[in-house]
Amino acid sequence: MSYYDIDAILTDAEKIPCTFQLDIPDLGYLDNTPNQPLKAGTKVSLPLWLAEMLVIANTGGPDNKTFVTFDLPRALGNDVVQALKADPRAVPLRDQSAHFYGLATHMMDLSEEQELGSVLRKTFVTRAAEISLHARKVGGVSAKGKGKEEGSNLGIGGAGEEFLRGLDEWERKLFRKAHDGAKSGKEWMESIKKN
Amino acid sequence: MPMYGDQGNKLVQHAKRMQNLAHLPPYQTELVRAVTREVRDLDKDVASLLEPFQGSFDPSADQSTACTLLVNHLSMRRNKRCLLAYHRTRTDKLEELVWNGSDVLDLAGQQAGGGANGATAAADSGASSSSLSPQEEDYVRQYGDLLAAYKGQWTDIDLTGSLEPPRDLFIDVRVLKDAGEIQTEYGAINLTKNSQFYVRQGDVERLIAQGYLQKLG
Repeated sequence: MSYYDIDAILTDAEKIPCTFQLDIPDLGYLDNTPNQPLKAGTKVSLPLWLAEMLVIANTGGPDNKTFVTFDLPRALGNDVVQALKADPRAVPLRDQSAHFYGLATHMMDLSEEQELGSVLRKTFVTRAAEISLHARKVGGVSAKGKGKEEGSNLGIGGAGEEFLRGLDEWERKLFRKAHDGAKSGKEWMESIKKN
Repeated sequence: MPMYGDQGNKLVQHAKRMQNLAHLPPYQTELVRAVTREVRDLDKDVASLLEPFQGSFDPSADQSTACTLLVNHLSMRRNKRCLLAYHRTRTDKLEELVWNGSDVLDLAGQQAGGGANGATAAADSGASSSSLSPQEEDYVRQYGDLLAAYKGQWTDIDLTGSLEPPRDLFIDVRVLKDAGEIQTEYGAINLTKNSQFYVRQGDVERLIAQGYLQKLG
């Protein structure tokens, strides 16, 4: 992940629920009340780039508090985790967050959630197999990279289309790579035969 | 809820969309200006927050001010990252276009699509304004000079030439735009619009890349 990585920057814009631990007079605008102080205990959704540091930073006071505490975003909430445990392929990750895995990785850095990591690992492995299965069904005529929007080219049924629509950005990249790879392989084989 | 960093995010979304395009969309002058203005405002806020402390600010004594300062600082840093990433994505694209041999400045003037296949360039000429910022035009010009100087070290090989081995030495081409007279081993050819020629591929490769000629067959 580089400083200039567009996807990393967009991942950092994902919001997580935070609770402020102290009164802050000048930050009322974060709670949509620019003229009033932000009260301790106020719940605000903050983007990762802001929340991450506020969660870690120490107030420097005697009680060793942090400025804010956070909860897991709904995309990684209990409902989603339970659904992923049941069948990773049945959950449209994109509906939870376009940068689902990126968000999850950040959250695992911040929280001590033990179970999340293993659930996500299983999710990715199961779904990756499914993705490569779909990506290999190359029609040969499909436009480069855009193949998945045109289900007919890929020769997949409605269920497959539904699954592919639910891929998050990382999985989409994986799909595209697998798809392009299979396509180039096929093209190369054909050009060999011709000569 | 409008918030610091929102404008920067829009800029990065533009960059994201740009990654999947063959051409370079117009430079977001307004957005870039808005983001830099935001940084300047934040910096002013920080200065006025710190002013009463006369350089001896103690974060643990005034935690709420410390938090405000941290939020402002992070917002500035975020904006900086968005700005840099946006411009970097664009310059990457510009370098790619220069390497492909497409006439970027000319293309920009026409707002035309297609870096690799500049052949479509002539087809959709539209708005007269450039999609490059003045600084970017400068960048392209100087990068082009650098590339030319680099290529100049090897006279017997064209670094930006096609990587596809040619199937035929000679090809049919159609002229899409007047390109004037060119010199070949077999004498001069006058390339006027809509005419067709049977020429040596090596002689016209660059003109094809620049969208003056179209390869037939």
